[in-house]
Amino acid sequence: MNFDLSDEQRQLAAAAADFFTSAASPGAARASLDTGAPIEPGRKAMADTGFAAITIPESAGGGGGSVLDLAVVAEQAGRVLAGPSLVTAARAAVLLEDDADRLPALADGSAAYAVIEETGGPVLDATTADRFLALRDGALVAGGGSITERAPIDATRGLADVTLDDAEVVAKDGVARWERALQVGQVVLGAEGLGTASKALELGVDYAKQRVAFGRQIGSYQAIKHALVDAFVGVEQLRSLVWWAAWTAEESPAELPLAAAAVKGMAAVVLEKAAETLVQVHGGIGFTWEHDAHLYWRRAKVDRFLLGDDVEAFDTVARLAIAGAAK
Amino acid sequence: MDFDDTPEEAAYRAKVRDYIAAHRGELMSVSEGGRRAVDLDAAKQHQSLMYDGGLVGVTWPKEYGGQGGTQMQQAIVNQEVAKAGLAGFIGVIGLGMCGPTVIAHGSDDQKSRYLGRLLRGEDVWCQLFSEPASGSDLAALRTKAVKTDSGSWRVNGQKVWTTLAHVSDYGILLARTDPDVAKHRGLTMFVVDMHAPGVTVRPLRQMSGVAEFNEVFFDDVEIPDEERLGEVGDGWRVALTTLMSERLSLGGGGTDVGTGLDAAAAHVAKRIGELPETRQALVRQEFGRQYAASLATRYTGYRQLSAISKGAMPGPEASAGKLAGTKTGRALADLGVRLLGDEAVYAITAEGDGRWQNSQAGLPGMAIAGGTDEILRNVLGERVLGLPPEPRADKGMSFNDSLRIGASE
Repeated sequence: MNFDLSDEQRQLAAAAADFFTSAASPGAARASLDTGAPIEPGRKAMADTGFAAITIPESAGGGGGSVLDLAVVAEQAGRVLAGPSLVTAARAAVLLEDDADRLPALADGSAAYAVIEETGGPVLDATTADRFLALRDGALVAGGGSITERAPIDATRGLADVTLDDAEVVAKDGVARWERALQVGQVVLGAEGLGTASKALELGVDYAKQRVAFGRQIGSYQAIKHALVDAFVGVEQLRSLVWWAAWTAEESPAELPLAAAAVKGMAAVVLEKAAETLVQVHGGIGFTWEHDAHLYWRRAKVDRFLLGDDVEAFDTVARLAIAGAAK
Repeated sequence: MDFDDTPEEAAYRAKVRDYIAAHRGELMSVSEGGRRAVDLDAAKQHQSLMYDGGLVGVTWPKEYGGQGGTQMQQAIVNQEVAKAGLAGFIGVIGLGMCGPTVIAHGSDDQKSRYLGRLLRGEDVWCQLFSEPASGSDLAALRTKAVKTDSGSWRVNGQKVWTTLAHVSDYGILLARTDPDVAKHRGLTMFVVDMHAPGVTVRPLRQMSGVAEFNEVFFDDVEIPDEERLGEVGDGWRVALTTLMSERLSLGGGGTDVGTGLDAAAAHVAKRIGELPETRQALVRQEFGRQYAASLATRYTGYRQLSAISKGAMPGPEASAGKLAGTKTGRALADLGVRLLGDEAVYAITAEGDGRWQNSQAGLPGMAIAGGTDEILRNVLGERVLGLPPEPRADKGMSFNDSLRIGASE
């Protein structure tokens, strides 16, 4: 058994950490929220570094990597609240996988796609997109759209309401790839959530070591220590699930639907817990606009509703597990 | 990344499977429904037969009768034993904790007298550590060993929560030999003959109704000095060997806590159709949450196994798996009981199934045994996250002085 990242994946993670920590930050996330400043690192930098095109084949100008490779990078993006989301890049790469014209444009960043959910509703990364992908009567379609921006809770997610115009058919029978794209997107969302949650945990731990109350560092109190440990256990559990689910995408596709739903649900729960713990451990300062804590908290409160919510995800897990057991 | 055996691991697994299959009829099965009292002779025979197949003492050195194998091979044996539904070993405490302690700290004479019989299941061993006044704070134990004029030791005191003491031949005993130094420094480890005069074992019935462990009283029990394990005053270090071995032998490795995930899925699949739609949605919500969490625990165990496969030793982070596994195991047991409908208030269903009720009553013990959830959170917080420790009111005090803390003036 070798359930661990490869040396290459660790190097990829280190390179991604270098890029994302210099190109994005909670400060940038706050500026987007305050003044509508551009989301960092932004589409161009994500395309130029090749991180957004990791799962696109080399023949189309991508990195020819696996979903697990992308998940390792997405974790680093999540740590600094980077945008646009690698979820959108990963989904578009699956949806356009056999499109000789559109896929290279996705890879080199000359086309900026976002994906409209089957049920409609807010579109992730819509504010930085100029093309939209959607499922219409079983067909995958692409086209321009009219965007209505709304007051964001987390500006880095680029959410907006979108009306699709002048769509053309990309694939007549798009249902199977649509579902797979959604599942891969859920895994990548979980990987970003893993990064966000683990960074939130680290910030909480750092503060608990510094802050003194009643003559002791607050991290020595079990009430604080145990809350942080519970967040830590969640993060490590989520990490295992993210790695496994990402691995199934290429290596065990029959398991992907359940694995993706499990990651989606668990990431929502773990990130929310880590972000709320971060605010609570900081006390009053953690509740201020100036402090970064609420930016992680905002990510948690929004991400739990993206690509379906946690309640729906756990229902899917149960349905698939029950169906598997009844066989 | 992969979940496959290496060629060596696959060959070893095949060997293990073949042996179990060839002797399945003579080997004991894990008991289902209600738990039974231990059939000692059958249990010893089961272990002896497994020993003949090289499946006992897998990681023990060859010179002491072990197989000289790897932790990964031990994990493979554990998996195959679980898969075949075989009973655990009556020597579980001896194999996992006492034996490794004797190997590390025993004299050549002790090793030659004890280890072979322990492996073959001829002697059963127990671990005499916890006491009524020292559970989580083990080093505060009070059982006294006083050196006599003849050079032997005289032991008085009481141990508790001692698994298998009622059928044990020997135990490793941690006792206080010097109360005038700090609590960790005044301890010494011994091998005690459980049939010696002055040893009294009383089974303790648990809230689950079964008696898996005991309280053990020592009244002027004589222990020869040759039965000391390690130096006088070095008992805490010897005990850490035992506890490290315990972590290895309990080391998760991706096996499920409680009734198991597949059994839970089968149970839900069978029962959910009998419920109204609104209840079905609630059951799916809870089951989906716990199923996802159980998978996360399983794959966290696989991460540990992979590290072990590369030669790493399990560290304190392994406690995270126990915390998470216990929590989900309890939640699944609760769901399992709920799904029994009217039968949920009885200890066993009309069809004779008591698995969910047993799990419900047994799993609270998992949150206490082998480190309470709270102690594990302290360990993780302090040793993995690097948070400052709890202040200790007895720090720097001799054991005798520390006894005054909390005593009425």
